Amino acid sequence: MSSRLEIYSPEGLRVDGRRWNETRHFKCSINTHPVSSDGSSLVEQGNTKVICNVVGPKEPTQRSKLNTERATINVKIIVAPFSTLERRKRSQNDHRLQELCITLQHVFEKAIIAHLQARSQIDILLYVLSQDGGMLQACLNATTLALIDAGIPMYDYISASTAGMFDKEALLDLNRLEESAMPLLTIATVGKSNRIALLQMENKIQFEALEPMMAVALSGCHHIRDLMDQEIRRHGKSRLNQSRDQ
Amino acid sequence: VVTPGELVTSEVVWMRGHGMYSVGNKTYSSVVGTISRVNKLLSVSALRGRYVPEVGDHVVGRIVDVGPRNWRVDIGAKQAAVLMLGSVNLPGGVQRRKSDTDELNMRMFLKEGDLLNAEVQAIFTDGAASLHTRSLNYGKLRNGYFIAIPSSLVVRSKAHVYEMPGGVDILFGVNGYIWIRKHTISSAGEQGVPITRLAEEAGWEIYSDENEYVSAGIRETIARYAGSIRALEFCEVAMNETRICKAYEASLAYKSAGELLDNKIKRHIAEQALS
Repeated sequence: MSSRLEIYSPEGLRVDGRRWNETRHFKCSINTHPVSSDGSSLVEQGNTKVICNVVGPKEPTQRSKLNTERATINVKIIVAPFSTLERRKRSQNDHRLQELCITLQHVFEKAIIAHLQARSQIDILLYVLSQDGGMLQACLNATTLALIDAGIPMYDYISASTAGMFDKEALLDLNRLEESAMPLLTIATVGKSNRIALLQMENKIQFEALEPMMAVALSGCHHIRDLMDQEIRRHGKSRLNQSRDQ
Repeated sequence: VVTPGELVTSEVVWMRGHGMYSVGNKTYSSVVGTISRVNKLLSVSALRGRYVPEVGDHVVGRIVDVGPRNWRVDIGAKQAAVLMLGSVNLPGGVQRRKSDTDELNMRMFLKEGDLLNAEVQAIFTDGAASLHTRSLNYGKLRNGYFIAIPSSLVVRSKAHVYEMPGGVDILFGVNGYIWIRKHTISSAGEQGVPITRLAEEAGWEIYSDENEYVSAGIRETIARYAGSIRALEFCEVAMNETRICKAYEASLAYKSAGELLDNKIKRHIAEQALS
């Protein structure tokens, strides 16, 4: 029963031993699929693992989708049946998945400098390998990294984080267990600023609870952005060194 | 190294080039790359990205579509390039008038799936390239093997057709598309045919789809060159004629071209090429 697991103990520890303002272990790598795509990334936030492949900018596959002023973005998400605790095959026309795709499309249409890629199409393919809470968050982060890896000009990083409210305590970066026990807020920011690229909340909460949750989530977003930037710089430097030696 | 969203400068004195955007007085980078300063022009050259065509580039491309009076050619850039009917050599002579039958017979010259090498003649305002094959060293490709590498690994040089030891030519497209073929002393001549003789020389053979006979030895050599190029690509080594030559010589130490698929052997070949 749930009495065995305390979501938030009186000493301030969560089920996995974290404090209220600690994110899960974040690990990312880029250029994981150099052959099959122009840009690729793998993001692991705790046990949530997402791979993103970006192909493009390229000629649009359908003439009807050709936009003379900006690039068209297509997002496709495939959730592996082994990603959850119980094996469950999700059909491609799943209502939730379609919604997720459209959300990502809207976010990244604004994030890339679209007028530079007029008349071209960018395909974003996401593979969710393992879910432990924060799927939208991980998808956003993985897509940012893959687009940067592909060399597509962007205004800034789009980094995402989640927050929840348990008994008047705002908690950062919820896992699956915590997501089922409290309201969940997903926020994505534009780089180091506090400008919000995406805000999603599907539960009902009191209005006063929104501000602490947002504050906690914004700090989480900035932290994730720094971690992503570190990895991009490290990879960039190693590529530069390799080409300089030659 | 700068990353997207990083402030590059807030002085107005600089002219802003590629890879950056400005908000007010401040200029930020939009890609991952290095800052380059040429006089007053500041730009960020991206470390990775698709091939960007420039006028005069020698590229290898594949026909993807036949349109009214033009062909669309995939050259690995953001958009397909355009090859106008008036930019190819029509059999019968350079001054021959284009007739309506030529338009209807476009598929007899080049159809979907054909490979060709061409030069970038101009760039449209939206970035698409316009190609031409108005020389006897450009045109449909035969007798060879296609391989594609990232365009960032191609070193731009004066000539992009290399005659390699072993009876093999390599057409090294700037866009990263490479054609390795059997060396032919072609009767239609490659360099050195004066333009006045194009009329007699350009017969229907330039658009033939028939390959010549390629012996087993040449095929093995082609496979070795392809393996050496893949080894250099695996280790992210920028390629030019000398490096490919050295890589090929290093690959001769292995009995068959099939062995070149091993990652350790690839690294060894790349080391030899750099020495």
